[in-house]
Amino acid sequence: MNAIEIKNLNKSFGDLKAVQDVSFHVQTGEVLGLLGPNGAGKSTTISMLSGLLNPTNGDATIMGHSVTKEPAAAKASLGVVPQDIALYPDLSARENLLFWGKMYGLRGPALQSRVDEVLSIIGLADRQKDKVGKFSGGMKRRVNIGAALLHKPAVIIMDEPTVGIDPQSRRHILDNVKELNQQGMTVLYTTHYMEEAAELSHHIAIMDQGKLIAYGTYNELITLVGEQTRIDITLNSEAEKILPTWRKTLGVSKIDETDGRITALADDSNRILPRLFDSAAEMDVRITSIDIQEPNLETVFLHLTGRALRD
Amino acid sequence: MKTLDIALKDLTHSFRSVFAVGMMVVAPLMLTGLIYFAFGGISSGEQSMPAVKVGLLNLDEMPANAQLEVPLGDNIRSMFFVGSVAPWITASDYADETSLRRALDEQEIGVAVIIPKDFSAQYLIGNKEAQVVVMSDPTLSIGPAVVQNMVTSMLDGVSGAGIALETLQFRQQANGIQPDTAHIPAWMEGYTTWYADFQRTLFHNPNQAAFIMVAPSAGQTETTDPIQKVMGLTLAGQMIFFAFFSGAFAMMSILDESENGTLARLFTTPTDRTAILAGKFLAVFITVIMQGLVLLVAGHYVFGISWGEPAGVALALTGQVIAASGLGVLMISFVKSSRQGGPVLGGGLTALGMLGGLMTSNMPNALPAAMNTIAKFTPQGWVLETWQMVMAGSPVTDLLVPFAVMLGMGLVMFTLGSLQFRKRFA
Repeated sequence: MNAIEIKNLNKSFGDLKAVQDVSFHVQTGEVLGLLGPNGAGKSTTISMLSGLLNPTNGDATIMGHSVTKEPAAAKASLGVVPQDIALYPDLSARENLLFWGKMYGLRGPALQSRVDEVLSIIGLADRQKDKVGKFSGGMKRRVNIGAALLHKPAVIIMDEPTVGIDPQSRRHILDNVKELNQQGMTVLYTTHYMEEAAELSHHIAIMDQGKLIAYGTYNELITLVGEQTRIDITLNSEAEKILPTWRKTLGVSKIDETDGRITALADDSNRILPRLFDSAAEMDVRITSIDIQEPNLETVFLHLTGRALRD
Repeated sequence: MKTLDIALKDLTHSFRSVFAVGMMVVAPLMLTGLIYFAFGGISSGEQSMPAVKVGLLNLDEMPANAQLEVPLGDNIRSMFFVGSVAPWITASDYADETSLRRALDEQEIGVAVIIPKDFSAQYLIGNKEAQVVVMSDPTLSIGPAVVQNMVTSMLDGVSGAGIALETLQFRQQANGIQPDTAHIPAWMEGYTTWYADFQRTLFHNPNQAAFIMVAPSAGQTETTDPIQKVMGLTLAGQMIFFAFFSGAFAMMSILDESENGTLARLFTTPTDRTAILAGKFLAVFITVIMQGLVLLVAGHYVFGISWGEPAGVALALTGQVIAASGLGVLMISFVKSSRQGGPVLGGGLTALGMLGGLMTSNMPNALPAAMNTIAKFTPQGWVLETWQMVMAGSPVTDLLVPFAVMLGMGLVMFTLGSLQFRKRFA
């Protein structure tokens, strides 16, 4: 059974088509990484799954419950970890969890014991009486996740849960996700950190400009790139000066520039690099750094869209 | 149940906020307290006027052939030294006008009374130019009014004695009786003394000073203590003013939640949106009710205010809660962000409060008629009118009309605000 089933989902805001005919599924018990640059439609898709937005067309199910026809049942099966901290800063960690537990219908001793369990899972049992407003960013993130776990949902959606936090808290969150998944929880995890998606996900869906452009396992997606190598280059001058020349260089299949860094896909880096150096020298452009990498998800995105994912 | 949980969470948030508690309870009590102390404070648990320092310059002389035992100026002067006024008037004599005016300028005294040299002579021949000059520190209001009243009362007494004497002589002549001129000074003195005692009983009481400031409206029952009445009307005005603020600011939590992402998170839980909005509304109702109860109890025990019959108080408080909550919901439903909310609510509610008469609540008849008409278009005006009626002892049946208006206004505003919210968060 698929824990999440998305069928021809569309969402428009006036003339803007934020999500266009997106379909994919998340199998029960797996982690699906949803990748894409800002504006790709990830958050809109998640908002429709979590009942914040109504689809313009199409439907989705959470554990078999339609988000449009049975929203309450779908929501009851779902835990949502929003990208921004959505907690009450003047309530303590425990008070926050108690409140969110009640919103999921938990009451009495069951609620109290579940809050104890969640505080233990997120590693904040010893700080439970402190107001959330006094917590560090990482600790707030952990409470933010804890609030979505209280009702033991079958499916959890995490929207960029590690943005802007310290490495220790990030590690803690990633370990939590793995542990929850090992316990049987299905996870839909959006991130723009390639390594997180690669580490956590059984399947990865990549979105761009409101459309699903790739879906598969990590290895399946990497094979889309073939034998190509990714080359990251930094220059001491504007990239526009040399980019048109390099774009025509034999063996360079895709090339893009973001924030002064050029990312290229090349069939054989050993043969391509001398050509790039030569043309740079001819145009009096100095290469300040160069990094050759094995294909990864960013390479896949570049391969599919011609643009770097960090766009 | 979830509605109650949301309301309790909001109430916890409100009552942990120093700003919110300050606005709800501390500010109205403080403002009322300031006025309370201005009226004489709480010494010995009995309201009293602050002592008025009166400087006297009595230049009056006994006119020739006057049927008086002493000049009128002496009677006026002695009035300020009698025991009954000693707790609230401190009088002293001055030798000349220069030293008296200097004492007034330097605020050594609050009121200066000058009785001119030929005052008795001029007064007894009916010269309207004869006058006692009363000058006062412009920062004082009640003290000079009381002194003015005392002097006028005394002179009324003398005039009354003159009229009585003329009447007596006329009747004696009409009946062929020879007037007994030897006893005239004694009669006049007797009448004047009686009148002075009568006036003293009536007006030489600090509470009567406040009575001067707050004339009762027709058909209303006067409370026994006018200072308490002034305090009651003052606190009522403050309570209403801040109740409307509390209603709006409590409702503003929905904007905070929207901006902080917790509202969106609430919408992702299996909680109906109607229940969420109902929880927010319930928190507003409870906040305004609790604020009203705290202020009513505090007003009674701290300032000794008698709010009126319990049924009337309950009706007025209920109307206040509905009107304040309704206006709060309506205003916030059109405010885009909490940042916009502060100035919009501050300006809007202050303007409505002023138009509703809340700033002059302790002077019910002070506003021009046009302002009283404008007040009828504001919920604050109706709430204030209801409280004024309750405190004046109006029967509950008389309160039903203003209560119905408050209820109607509150429900209409609440409905419009709710519809706007539902549209906004659909």
